[in-house]
Amino acid sequence: MGRRRRGSGAAGVGALPEAIAALSRALPGGPSPETFRRAKFDRPEAVPALRRLLLGLLSSLPEDGAADPDGQARLLRSALCARGYPRGARLPESGAGGSRELLLALAWLLAREPLLERLLARARVQLGDEVTACQRDPTPLQCELQARPCPPAHGVDTEGPVDIRFLQWLMGKLQIRWRTLASSQWEHCALLGQIHAYTQGCHSDRELGHLSVPETEALRDPEGGQQLLWRLQCENKRLEAALQWRRCELLFWQWMDSVLVTCPPEEASRPPTPPRLSGLLLSPVSRELELLSRELQTLQEGLREAAGPLRVAWEARAGARGPELEAWQQMVQMAVTRELVALKQTWEHGRAPPQPHGPCRLVQSQAAVPAGLGLQAAELMGVLRSQEACLEEALSQLQAQCQQELARLSGALPGLLWILPSHGRLAPTPSGTR
Amino acid sequence: MVSMSIVTVQLGQCGNQIGFEVFNTLLNDSHSPQGLCCKRENELYQVSCKERFFSEEENGVPIARAVLVDMEPKVINQTLSKAAQSGRWKYGQHSYFCQKQGSGNNWAYGYSVHGPKHEESVMNLVQKEVEKCDSLSGFFIIMSMAGGTGSGLGAFVTQSLQDQYSNSLRMNQIIWPYGTGEVIVQNYNSILTLSHLYRSSDALLVHENDAAHKICAKLMNIKQISFSDINQVLAHQLGSVFQPTYSTEGSFHYRRNPLGDLMESLVPHPEFKMLGVRNIPQMSESSLAYSTFTWTGLLKHLRQMLISNAKMEEGIDWQVQPHFSGHPTLGKMSLNKELHFNTSIANLVILRGKDVHSADLGGFKDPALYTSWLDPVNAFSVWKTQRAFCKYEKSAALVSNSQFLVKPLDMIVGKAWSMFASKAYIHQYTKFGVEEEDFLDSFTLLEQVIASYCNL
Repeated sequence: MGRRRRGSGAAGVGALPEAIAALSRALPGGPSPETFRRAKFDRPEAVPALRRLLLGLLSSLPEDGAADPDGQARLLRSALCARGYPRGARLPESGAGGSRELLLALAWLLAREPLLERLLARARVQLGDEVTACQRDPTPLQCELQARPCPPAHGVDTEGPVDIRFLQWLMGKLQIRWRTLASSQWEHCALLGQIHAYTQGCHSDRELGHLSVPETEALRDPEGGQQLLWRLQCENKRLEAALQWRRCELLFWQWMDSVLVTCPPEEASRPPTPPRLSGLLLSPVSRELELLSRELQTLQEGLREAAGPLRVAWEARAGARGPELEAWQQMVQMAVTRELVALKQTWEHGRAPPQPHGPCRLVQSQAAVPAGLGLQAAELMGVLRSQEACLEEALSQLQAQCQQELARLSGALPGLLWILPSHGRLAPTPSGTR
Repeated sequence: MVSMSIVTVQLGQCGNQIGFEVFNTLLNDSHSPQGLCCKRENELYQVSCKERFFSEEENGVPIARAVLVDMEPKVINQTLSKAAQSGRWKYGQHSYFCQKQGSGNNWAYGYSVHGPKHEESVMNLVQKEVEKCDSLSGFFIIMSMAGGTGSGLGAFVTQSLQDQYSNSLRMNQIIWPYGTGEVIVQNYNSILTLSHLYRSSDALLVHENDAAHKICAKLMNIKQISFSDINQVLAHQLGSVFQPTYSTEGSFHYRRNPLGDLMESLVPHPEFKMLGVRNIPQMSESSLAYSTFTWTGLLKHLRQMLISNAKMEEGIDWQVQPHFSGHPTLGKMSLNKELHFNTSIANLVILRGKDVHSADLGGFKDPALYTSWLDPVNAFSVWKTQRAFCKYEKSAALVSNSQFLVKPLDMIVGKAWSMFASKAYIHQYTKFGVEEEDFLDSFTLLEQVIASYCNL
């Protein structure tokens, strides 16, 4: 297991039960420490709690998504395999057993990424009004949230052909929603501005000066204030637990080594295959999955077989098609040069001060903030503008590709009349998509 | 929760007169003691209506969120003073713009001369109004389709709004001219207005003068019909759509953004933007006192008005029936055509009044009513409130994106084309920079719209 051992552990080494207790308190809805011990001995009682925990960590699916234990077990297997978990094949296929494997999977997740930090960040209580400064590389956890599967649109029959007008309808709907969202965002900003202006001078912290929305709410509604206090206390407890865990995690990892040793050796060295799904309880989706993974395997094998001769043939042909290849090469070179120039510009532009990452508290201030402290709105706007420019560039490239494709298609179907949309005509207004 | 506001832009004689009636209807209704609901609910209804369409002045008189624009002062002065005289609401002191010289029913003059010349002044007024809103949902732009100022300048202003407020929604309320029109070039003006709005607006809510006239004559029993009567009918229709309704079934919160919700459910497709409104019941106050209604009866009539394309509940053709669903074949189309079946893309029904939760809307969820590429789950929506509207114990309104307007549109395009073919009056347009090519573009676009609606 590619584990990272953090800290020498010498400073605050305590007993193993303390380490496990700290971990369980730091995890959201963490299982009791006893669960860990039971899992070491592969006891079935530990299964439900561990599985619930893992599912919560891995997927953002609603809990009733797979209500039966077998379904949950399959879901968990797939989610772990999708992340490249090497012992996927050993995970339980049914809902009844395999608590030790589940514990190992949890440890793998903990060792592989800063999972705990990310979970704590996700559950953080927001006291200030915030804006996220950098959205370039959303963490995988955010990606998961974004990739939440949505319910299928009504009327989309995946079997038959879809009427293009229906797609245009859905597209239009999306655009209207986008505009409504932009309006509400605007409204939100205006209200924030008002609250900040009205509460100017109310904050005990002179640097901040004014209250944020959660703070104003807490003052306005005492009960809400109590709740906020309670949530902050909970968060504090979790943070303390996380700190304690950091101090004594070495013990945990040593214990995990002993868990790994108690595992029976693998029967044979199987390559990591996608999970097989048992045939009886298959839903249509998993049946399709099964079919697809089998097809994928066949395709991969076919590909390997076909690739060798093709490569040889291509190399032979490439020799013959010199000028074409040269033009292509030039095109690639030009594209690379362009990218390099763009990268260089971004680098030079962004190099001056180190830009703050992550969420920033919004503060309205009359006084000039000394350079290097915080992020000025103008700077953030600059970053956003350059991001917008990049995205627009990408969009226009994609549009050009689409038009080329359309032009190609119009040549390929002589019986059909293609009318490319002219500027602003009936096509959705470009202003709506920005 | 704050209701999102709508800023109205009233353009030209027609737009200003109708705009006045709309605000008057909205405020009279929200202060009507006959809301037939509890006090608390009535208060929420009033607040929601006010936030959306009015801003509060210091002495408590609501001020319409509106900008008045005309190239002649007469109608604007009348409108301002009528509102002030009502005592219940008024227009903002500096929210109007007028000039001394009209557009002479020439669309090109309104669009190419008045438009650019006064753009800055008009947009400044709009900006002031927008700044008064905590949250802006979008714009109502009320204008005629066939005149000079309302239609030409209206098309120009809509474009400016698109440029400056690209995220806000734009709904144009356009008044379709009488079939026996007063203006010789009304068909030219109409095609230019429609084609330009198709590019710059999100939805065209069309009111037909002919239909409103008939409603006045047949349902309201008015003998000498004035423009004011007709405008009141139109205002009633608009009010019945945009007054507050519950945000969801079973909720007692009022909808925050009806304009956005309406557009999302009716006009997402860029080729289908034409909406029509139907109301039921509509009658004179004297007959109202002796009438009772059931939801079943009202909805049965409203549905038949929809599928047979009737403009009012009188003279409905009950022969028209949908073909059995599940056969989206050519047979269905030809049969429907034969029986003048009005196929819908999407419909929105708004119910207001007593026992509204018991109303059965199954008749509107029949797939046979809709185009084959959209099923009723996507194509049909309903808004409700227990609060009665304008003295009607129960009332229903229907906003429909359907083949309602294909025939009149086809007629206007046809007439304009035959005039254009003989080059009649074209010089009046080219003189101000609207070229023959612009006409051709307009024809192409509208022919495409007609074809799209025909092929539902």
